[in-house]
Amino acid sequence: MSPLTLIFLVPLLTALVLVFVPSREVRTLRGLTFVGTGVPLLLAILTFATFDNAPLGPGTIADLNLNSDSHPSEPPEDAPTAVFLEYENGYKFTEHHDWMPTLGISFHVGVDGINVGLLLMGMLVAFAAVCCARDIGRRVKEFHILLLLMTGGILGAFMSLDIFVMYFLHELALVPTFIMIGVWGHGQEKNYAAFKITLYLSIGALLALAGLILLYTQVGAHTFNLLELRDHMDVGGSALTLGMQETIFGLFLFGLGILVSLWPFHTWAPLGYAAAPTATAMMHAGVIKKFGLYMLIRVALPLLPEGAQQWAGLLAALALGNLLWCGLVALRQKDFTLLLGNSSVAHMGFVFLGIASVSVIGITGAVLVMIAHGLLAALTFGLAGWLRAQTGTTEMEKLGGLLQTMPFIGTAILMALLAGCGLPGFANFAGEATIFFAAWHAEFKVITTIAVWAALVIGAVYMLRAARHILHGPAVATELDGRDAPDWFTRLPYALLLAALLLFGFWPRLLSDKISPAAERLLPPDPQQNAQQP
Amino acid sequence: MFLLLASANSANGIHTPYAVLLLPLFAAVTIALFARQHRSLSAALSIGAILVSFCLSLSLLTKGITTEDNITWLTIGSGPIPALELSIGYVLDKLSLQMLLVVTGVGSLIHIFSWGYMREDKAVPRYFACLSLFTFSMLGIVLANNLFMMFIFWELVGVSSYLLIGHWFHRDAAADAAKKAFITNRIGDFGFLLGIIIVWSALGTFNFAFIEAKHSELGTLATLAGLLLFCGAVGKSAQFPLHVWLPDAMEGPTPVSALIHAATMVAAGVYMICRLDFIFTTDALTVIAWVGGITSLLAALMAIQQDDIKRILAYSTLSQLGYMVMAVGCGGPDAAMFHLTTHAFFKALLFLGAGSVIIALHHEQNIWKMGGLRHRMPVTFWTFILATLALCGVPPFSGFFSKDAILELAWSDNKALFLLATGVAVLTAFYMFRLFYVAFLGSSRSTAADKAQESPYVMTVPLMILAVPSVIAGFFGEVHLGLAMIAGIVASIAGFALARTFYRETKTDPLPSRIGRTAEWCRDRFYFDEAYEALNKYTQELLAKVTDWLDCWIIAGLGVKGIAGVTHITGSLLRLLQTGNLQTYALLFVLGVLVLLYLTLT
Repeated sequence: MSPLTLIFLVPLLTALVLVFVPSREVRTLRGLTFVGTGVPLLLAILTFATFDNAPLGPGTIADLNLNSDSHPSEPPEDAPTAVFLEYENGYKFTEHHDWMPTLGISFHVGVDGINVGLLLMGMLVAFAAVCCARDIGRRVKEFHILLLLMTGGILGAFMSLDIFVMYFLHELALVPTFIMIGVWGHGQEKNYAAFKITLYLSIGALLALAGLILLYTQVGAHTFNLLELRDHMDVGGSALTLGMQETIFGLFLFGLGILVSLWPFHTWAPLGYAAAPTATAMMHAGVIKKFGLYMLIRVALPLLPEGAQQWAGLLAALALGNLLWCGLVALRQKDFTLLLGNSSVAHMGFVFLGIASVSVIGITGAVLVMIAHGLLAALTFGLAGWLRAQTGTTEMEKLGGLLQTMPFIGTAILMALLAGCGLPGFANFAGEATIFFAAWHAEFKVITTIAVWAALVIGAVYMLRAARHILHGPAVATELDGRDAPDWFTRLPYALLLAALLLFGFWPRLLSDKISPAAERLLPPDPQQNAQQP
Repeated sequence: MFLLLASANSANGIHTPYAVLLLPLFAAVTIALFARQHRSLSAALSIGAILVSFCLSLSLLTKGITTEDNITWLTIGSGPIPALELSIGYVLDKLSLQMLLVVTGVGSLIHIFSWGYMREDKAVPRYFACLSLFTFSMLGIVLANNLFMMFIFWELVGVSSYLLIGHWFHRDAAADAAKKAFITNRIGDFGFLLGIIIVWSALGTFNFAFIEAKHSELGTLATLAGLLLFCGAVGKSAQFPLHVWLPDAMEGPTPVSALIHAATMVAAGVYMICRLDFIFTTDALTVIAWVGGITSLLAALMAIQQDDIKRILAYSTLSQLGYMVMAVGCGGPDAAMFHLTTHAFFKALLFLGAGSVIIALHHEQNIWKMGGLRHRMPVTFWTFILATLALCGVPPFSGFFSKDAILELAWSDNKALFLLATGVAVLTAFYMFRLFYVAFLGSSRSTAADKAQESPYVMTVPLMILAVPSVIAGFFGEVHLGLAMIAGIVASIAGFALARTFYRETKTDPLPSRIGRTAEWCRDRFYFDEAYEALNKYTQELLAKVTDWLDCWIIAGLGVKGIAGVTHITGSLLRLLQTGNLQTYALLFVLGVLVLLYLTLT
């Protein structure tokens, strides 16, 4: 069995086990969830670490091996077509089962350089979210079941090579978000936020689904399999007319864009995250929101290359909307979670800008930022959750001097804020800088200039303003007499996320050497377009 | 780490610069992880690291040839030429070696001094961790062999400066100053990064040597690219119009002011434009020269009416940095680097001397509450006067030679700038002797000054050591007998005479009554801060206010209400299903899609 299948199944099976645990056994529930995400996390780490050495095509747990053997670059001749396609597209650790052959839907998972990093990030965030879910006091059982469903669903979506399953699993992860905000959310606007986020995301998902169905029917290959679709389109030339490519890409762009809070469809995000329980905000802002971007990169770009070219200019302009507009809005926020929410929306602009450049540099940068931002968003919302639980507020006016009263949490917040304003040493910087080069090279010169301003100056202003208000200055007495994270277990999620941010920040090649070859395969083989002159 | 050191020696020294670079980082990380509660251990680690770095730098001196090395940090694209390649490496040449010795040498003394100065501080380990982080970042700038690496460490220097200015973050003034420094620097970095992007997009490389070889290909972009890169230096070296952060940065501990805001970090901007000297066109150089000249004049004027001992030195630093930048603009990077080096010695000495006074007076910084320190603090007094003489350009002290080189350059390049520079020299001698007369001579004007005692050896020994190069470092330069030299000497005598007339044995500052409003303008720094505050308020903040309002009432408001209306009707229809359960909806949704698909296909 592929380790990927296990990463997908273990959380879902744990959720199933939890159903049979009595609600009052809170410790057992938490313990099981901890193990149910801890084991897949270890598998994800191993998969990531051994990815370069693993053979192409189908893989098993035995392939999680650091010793490098030379593997054949061609599959055995009697292998099924799917395996040939996996080799050709550089997928590893794959597993394939037919599911609904009449519709061409199958369970088909695999990783290449792009999603292997996303899976690692997703599992790290999920594990951290489980650790931070200790602030849930009531209906613990239901919350943990939903959290595990979310985890299994979104990781499954990231590893699936079948677009239908990919989409379906994302929905599986999305629906718990709404319920969690509605039931366990906080603040006066909780219901409005739950309503709004449901509305926006459902519409986004619906548009994307329309794009998906249109793609399926127009290509007419009777398959949802990504590799087969690509193969079909490559062999038959582009089966789609330019107009049709444009339409479908447009549906994807706006549908998935709404899911990722593309400007001006972003207003659900800050509100939703402010109202969401800590673990939910971490999972959604960190991982689930990356799905829209992932699907744009994974499905829309390679299958609709000409459509992408047509929309690139508009996408770059909207990306600037995220970076500049939401950055300016973040300047005005008085609540820490709203500031983080707006900043998180602003950061999505980098990824959109990277995608809009339609080049290997841009795509690599975009995936780097997706991973870095996933870790960072989870970290910041996790820390904000700690503040809320310990001080009873996230209003910046009511906080102050936390570096003195909460040295560990304060330092972690400071590091997160600095990472958020693009400081080298944290993973975000490598991706953001890369995207600037790509966007400038794609002739988005004015947009790049303003984006650099938004990133370097506006970002620094609101991040440091937050640090000034809540960390520096004299200590302020708060409603609740909060304490610092006392022991290694409470510190674990934050330390883990920070360590990952620093590791990839100091050594981005761990990611980029995997992403870059995969990104090249997604783009049309046009050396003139993708290669930078010497 | 020690394995690394061992390998450094075995592998023909090719890795030694990496050891120089990484040792302070190693110290910072070790302190942060394991020595947070150990005051002496953290100090020992930090001081030990920079001392070893200093010794290794000395050993590099013997090489004598330019060496370079590269490690790929990030590479994208699989072709023979990567689409984008970012690397970390080093280049060792005359320029970087000179700067390396200044940073590690002066840095070592300041690290040691810190152990005395900060002995009563609660957060000594944090202080030393940040200090080592700063040293690491600064060494990265010095060793960088490419623009991108320089930018990385540029940013890291910015953040370590932020952390150190804000060391006493519980004080509002320190926290505000730290934030201001970082953001002002970021404005400069905005230009710097754009410049880097333009250079890369035109030449396809970040490496200094390659850029030098191909910079003619920049064509019409050359002036723009050069000026954008210069923006970075304007921020970091606190040149007009981004000079406002440096005086506020004096809220940090005094050794920090000495190390970062006098000797090294602020010199990074000058170092950068010396490194990139070849890229600047004539037009760009003219702009650079005038920016430097204006900065040096404005800052010198501001200095004459300050009362805080550290602020006087801060404005003096601004003014001298302006001198260096002006020298680069006049086509003399060598003269600029010469002045940078001598300035690092005597300005660090001045700051440390001021630190010694401040500690002795229990954190009193107002010079009008000092006086008569001459007999109570002899070592501080004597070293301070040596540094003052060096700064004022009195022969044969080091500052005389380096200042003379710049004046000489200005004379041959631009007469107007020469006049300006001579004027600045008069002002320099004036404000320095004003400080000297008021703080050290006369009689004490406060009880704290009455009871002041000389600082311990851990502080005075670094003063004495620094005094040596402050006096003699000039002999490594050349002297040009000529008008410029005479002008420089006359200027310092004139400044001294003026200061003596006004400030010998006075209890209050006589200047405001003599020159009235001008004194007020100088004291209030020509209202730059107020103007910038207003500018920010009426541009970026106003824009943010408008955007926020639109976001809240137009995009979120109308958008949602519009959709909500439609949903209301749909909702009423859906109510027929009467489940009220989202999971059911989701299930129905997916089932419906499947049915739909099935129907279209069969």
